[in-house]
Amino acid sequence: MGDIRQSLLPRDVLSAAKELLYHLDIYICNLVQSGRQPPQVDSKTLELVEEFILHAPKDRNTPGRRMSALQELQLLEIMCSCFQEQSRDTVRQLMFSALFSLQGNQADESRMALLGKLVSMAIAVGRIPILECAATWLQRTHRVYCIRLAQVLVDDYCSMVPGSVPTLQNIHSASPRFCCQFITAVTTLYDLNSEELTPPLELLQMIVSWIQDDPRLVLITFLNTPLSGSQPISSLDLTPLGGLVRWCVKAPLAYRRDSKQALTNGTTQNEPETGPLFSALHLSVLQVFMLLPNILNEKGLFGRLALLQMESLAALTSDLSRLLDQADKHTHASSADTHALSQLTLDRLAQALQVAMANGALLCSREDLRAICSRLPHNNLLQLVLSGPVMYYNNIHTPPLAFSPHAAHSPIASHPTHPTHPAHTPHTPLATHPSSHPQYPAQPFMTGMPFPFRPSH
Amino acid sequence: MLKDQAMSVVFDGSPLKAMQSSHTHTPQTALSAQELSQEIKSFISGVDTVQGRKLSVREHARCAVRLLRSVPACRGAVLEHLRSVYDEHVSAFLHNLETEGDASSGVSSNLEDIIQEVHGVLSEFIRLNPRAWAPLVSAWAVDLLGQLSSKHAGRRVAPHSSSLNELLQLWMSCAATRSLMEAYSQCLAAMLAWCPDACVDALLDTSVQHSPHFDWVVAHIGSAFPGTIISRVLACGLKDFCSHGAKDQGLMVMGADKGSRVPKIGSVVGILGHLAAHHSDSIRKELLRMFQESLSPSSPLSPTSSSTSWESSPQLRRAAVPFLLQLAAMSPNLFGAVSAELVELLRPPVLLQLQALLQGLPREELDNMLGLAVHLISQSPSGGARVLRFLADTATPASVIISGPTPSPHEGVREGCDRLLQMLLLHLHKLVFNRSDGAEGNPHHSASSQPQRVIPFLEELQSHVGELCAETLRLERKRHLWLHQLLCLLSVYGGPSVATEALCQLLTQARNPEELALAWQLHTTLSSCMAGLIPAAVARCVAQIHTHTLGPRQLRQLLLNLAAAIQSQDEERRGSAGAQSSMAIQVGSAVSGHLHDFGPLLLHGDPAVSHATVRLLSCSPLPRTSSPAHLLLLSRTAVTHFFLALRRRGEGGKVGRDGGQAGEAVNCSVLLLSRFAAYSPLTLKAVLQQLVEGALHKGNTDLFGGQIADMSGAPVASPSVSPDLGASLLEINCRFGTTVNFSGSVWSVFHAGVIGKGLKVRTATQLPDPSGVIQNIQTLLAVVVQCCSSSGLNGSINGSRPPADPDEPLPINAEAAKVVAVTLVENVCPDVANGELSWPPEEHARTTVERDIHIRRCFEAHPVLFHLLQVVAAGRPALCYCSAVLRGLLATLLAHWEASRDMSSTDSPWHLQASCILVSCMGEGQLLPPVLANVHEAFPHLTPFEVRLLLLAVWEYVRGNGPMPQKFVFSSEKGLFCRDFSRDGDVARYVAPIHSVLHKNIDRLGHLCWRFQL
Repeated sequence: MGDIRQSLLPRDVLSAAKELLYHLDIYICNLVQSGRQPPQVDSKTLELVEEFILHAPKDRNTPGRRMSALQELQLLEIMCSCFQEQSRDTVRQLMFSALFSLQGNQADESRMALLGKLVSMAIAVGRIPILECAATWLQRTHRVYCIRLAQVLVDDYCSMVPGSVPTLQNIHSASPRFCCQFITAVTTLYDLNSEELTPPLELLQMIVSWIQDDPRLVLITFLNTPLSGSQPISSLDLTPLGGLVRWCVKAPLAYRRDSKQALTNGTTQNEPETGPLFSALHLSVLQVFMLLPNILNEKGLFGRLALLQMESLAALTSDLSRLLDQADKHTHASSADTHALSQLTLDRLAQALQVAMANGALLCSREDLRAICSRLPHNNLLQLVLSGPVMYYNNIHTPPLAFSPHAAHSPIASHPTHPTHPAHTPHTPLATHPSSHPQYPAQPFMTGMPFPFRPSH
Repeated sequence: MLKDQAMSVVFDGSPLKAMQSSHTHTPQTALSAQELSQEIKSFISGVDTVQGRKLSVREHARCAVRLLRSVPACRGAVLEHLRSVYDEHVSAFLHNLETEGDASSGVSSNLEDIIQEVHGVLSEFIRLNPRAWAPLVSAWAVDLLGQLSSKHAGRRVAPHSSSLNELLQLWMSCAATRSLMEAYSQCLAAMLAWCPDACVDALLDTSVQHSPHFDWVVAHIGSAFPGTIISRVLACGLKDFCSHGAKDQGLMVMGADKGSRVPKIGSVVGILGHLAAHHSDSIRKELLRMFQESLSPSSPLSPTSSSTSWESSPQLRRAAVPFLLQLAAMSPNLFGAVSAELVELLRPPVLLQLQALLQGLPREELDNMLGLAVHLISQSPSGGARVLRFLADTATPASVIISGPTPSPHEGVREGCDRLLQMLLLHLHKLVFNRSDGAEGNPHHSASSQPQRVIPFLEELQSHVGELCAETLRLERKRHLWLHQLLCLLSVYGGPSVATEALCQLLTQARNPEELALAWQLHTTLSSCMAGLIPAAVARCVAQIHTHTLGPRQLRQLLLNLAAAIQSQDEERRGSAGAQSSMAIQVGSAVSGHLHDFGPLLLHGDPAVSHATVRLLSCSPLPRTSSPAHLLLLSRTAVTHFFLALRRRGEGGKVGRDGGQAGEAVNCSVLLLSRFAAYSPLTLKAVLQQLVEGALHKGNTDLFGGQIADMSGAPVASPSVSPDLGASLLEINCRFGTTVNFSGSVWSVFHAGVIGKGLKVRTATQLPDPSGVIQNIQTLLAVVVQCCSSSGLNGSINGSRPPADPDEPLPINAEAAKVVAVTLVENVCPDVANGELSWPPEEHARTTVERDIHIRRCFEAHPVLFHLLQVVAAGRPALCYCSAVLRGLLATLLAHWEASRDMSSTDSPWHLQASCILVSCMGEGQLLPPVLANVHEAFPHLTPFEVRLLLLAVWEYVRGNGPMPQKFVFSSEKGLFCRDFSRDGDVARYVAPIHSVLHKNIDRLGHLCWRFQL
């Protein structure tokens, strides 16, 4: 493969890239057919890709050749059809990763730029194979780059080109996997901590409608991923559930802040209220949680895999307490309104916690929860969740984790044996420590706890 | 509870659906993925993939726009494609212009609507989402604009890049560029709120890349967003300047290759120059702000500096001042905008900062800056005077004696200014003298010989010559040297008019000899290249006098200065003759040409002025020729001034200093009169005549001890008394039946009072101070004698006969004495009847009683007449012409002595004195032989009757031997006219009464007998 460099050099930028793609296709086909496991693209080829497709400067002396935007578009078009025409999934995946796997060198920037354009274009012209490949890429790549890709797509479809949202909406039907990863990336990107990190309305509407239509969408990646040890570090979460819960919980406070700013700016808020959207989303998320036990049980992971992770919850609650403090400080006039919104926030948090715990998505003890929720203001429901007995109303009939190899460990018994292993230590995915200590759902019945209910008003 | 929450969520969800559907509006060109794919293929290949034919430019562009609307990933490519569309349109547009739009108008109009469409789409996008689109479109538009303007810069219709306005017009009339410009403006307006820097930086980068063809864009944008652009353009220029290094630009502007080496600064100048038309205020503020900020001590984190932080880089701060200088050097507009306020800014603290800043620079660079600053100052069209004052103020060394208006600056600053000033002078010197190379020595024609290089600094200073002179004359240490040098340069530059003005100002403003010396220095320098400077300057001074632009003090000073100038001539004559003497002579001759202009100043209301005038006139030479009218006028004023001076001396004599001045004024006046009288017979006559008239004038009588007497005999009475006199002219006239005036006849003798009312009351007049009177009379006599004996007339008549002994007074000139005599007669005699020289018999005196009384009264009222008479007597034979007066006086004296019943003649002192003087005068005038002339010696010892007898003898003699001038003969050895009495009849028969009287009184008159021997 390395020997074609000499023949590529005299060509113009576009035809060299085309030719390289052609050769790459053949090379990977051969690689796959040779049956070597795992099929690995050698570094020479990667260098060629960087030189002739990504146009990274090879060394300082030779200035990198650049493609004009038109040539780039042609290249993208060629790539689209190339992936479309390649029938074999493996080849496609290999080729995609040969082109777009991050190598940690300076070519990564142009790689990301090209990838963004390619995916954006694939969405526009409905190239499903590319989206599938991209979904895989999103699973394997560091979350920072995933966020960048999501950002490009959101910019392209939600802000740059008005009226192109429907095109993006189509990815739900075209490639649910990509769609799911996209949601994960987007919820990671927009953490509602500032104005810039608030999702555009169009995006929000789109995501809500996707999940409403098909709650299982958010679990697609989880469902389709074999739980092998190949989950890379710092990649996106397996599901967007954590991010979605964060959205729903923070939304009342975040959007109140936005609207306040808008009001002080004098611009009248004529866009529709986001409240109903988040309510709907919250419901959908809860519904997804309800789906979980069956799925987890099917996979035999109930109680062993925390889809909602403790440290993200801890971050969420600390954000929340900060936001609530701010809300208390800054609003004196509409305190009743503020109070209602913070109660809504806490209600949602409590609901999410309760449902997640109950459905095995959150694996922790109530002490852990109380620890992370200690700084939050009072909320009846939250109090109830933190203190009250757990109703195993869904899986009460099925013995917990009967099929698990660790079934012998009683959750109640196991917890006191690990006092040095607090619940908020990273509940890393199962693969990292597959068999050491399964974190059982530990919800001890706190008998000594007085029932703290009192009428809120 | 949980259920409830869920329920509410569900309920909330229902309106959501409706809302959502309303929001997912599909675009008007909703294309399926398949169609989009086709569209992309068509766009890439330029061929309609469905129909298989080639797309037209228009269709291709439409396709691009569709992609822009629907496929975000194509953005870059579409914009790139649109470049070519815009380019196409510009080409067509220019082609159309070049061919005067005959055939191909269709193409351009076709594209124009596409461009409209594109513009519409872009501006919609920018409006909807400025944050995303504005940076993108602005970069694209600017780049494309740059490309288009440089690509088509060479076209025939495109104006040269230096004419920004034409370029602007051309490009704004082209739809493509206008659309780009609008899009960019829209972006900039949107981006100003959050990141103006990036936007403007892109603009300037492009501007550098495509300079100077791109300047019109920046200029246009700048005028739309002046506040933002100006400061950034400056900052950008500064950075560029700094990175290029200021080393090789120092004197670049001197040459012709303006701005060719550093494109960016040229662009900056061009842009700011364009903006200066409408936003000069903002530009000025920005420039000054830049200057100030570059000086103010660096504050590492200044929160106010929103701009691109050139302030924070010490290197850039140091380059700011050279940069500004460079900028100013390249654009007169900018320089003009800044210079005025810059000087105001340069207060001592700022200067210290500036010095601290500049100390860090290498010497070579400093020299360059100095040269540049000097160049700028010399080229500055306005505010030069202020700059100069500032420089001089700052450079003048601090002194204990002279405390300037500003506190003394730091020594280093002072030296810097000193250096700058000297360089400036040197530079101006070069400019001035190179300039008039071709026309050296002939400044009057230099204007025609070659077009002269204008030096704006000097041009402007020309109107401040007066102030410059005043400053120079303050004689402060070094300052006056600089200013004096500058005055020289200015005079050479401005030619005769300025030189004249300068000299004139110096002459007017100098207050002492040291200051006046500056004028001579100036003249010495200029005299080599300018002729006729002094006459012109004097003429100018005279013009000032005429226009009354000078106050009394200035006027006086000017006159004194001129006088001093002329007098220096005399000193020079005594001492070493230097350059001054020739100048003093020139001044003298110039002043003499304008004597008649100075004349009226003698009578100026301010004594100081008139004194100064008389000083000047008394020392100035008299003109060689002059018109009689002028001379007469001048003599009249001189005489009037003389009497005025006498009066002033009298009045001011008691009060010290003024007295001295008044005395000097009299001396000068005497000198002037005598010189003037000596000038020509005409002036002599005029002066003498007026002197006599003046002495006898009613207003002046008191000066000479006279009384204001009523010559006509009408009573001088207070108005309150007159009505009850009861005299009625009507009655009198009725009584005599006529209104004819019988004056001179017996009927009109009313002088003693009205009949029936008794003698009229003599008004008691207070006698003036006798010593003053004597002094005045002495002075008058001295003047008259000097005039009469001055050489003017003597030379003409007697031949120039220098007196053997300088102490011996010159003889009185006969002709002059005649003038006095005639004037005297005219003034004393009321009419000319019986005015012949020869005397009638004594009895006939009755017919002239009234006239005689009048004459006597005159003598009573004006004692000075006797003195004048003596002068006339000395100038034989002039006394002959006084015949009538003598006769009249003698007649009244005879009548008096006849009527007197006193025991001794001494009982009527006045009459006695008058008789004595009369006879002695007649003797001196040789109307009487010595025997008869001596009779007056006996008068005091005689009775009135005897006096009458003697006087009668005198009368008889004169009747017998008429007082005829022709009886006198000039004796050349004496230089006098003399009468030979031997030709006349025998004296003896007239002597008989004398001898009788002698005999009668021999006891008392024995000692006089020898006087009357024949």
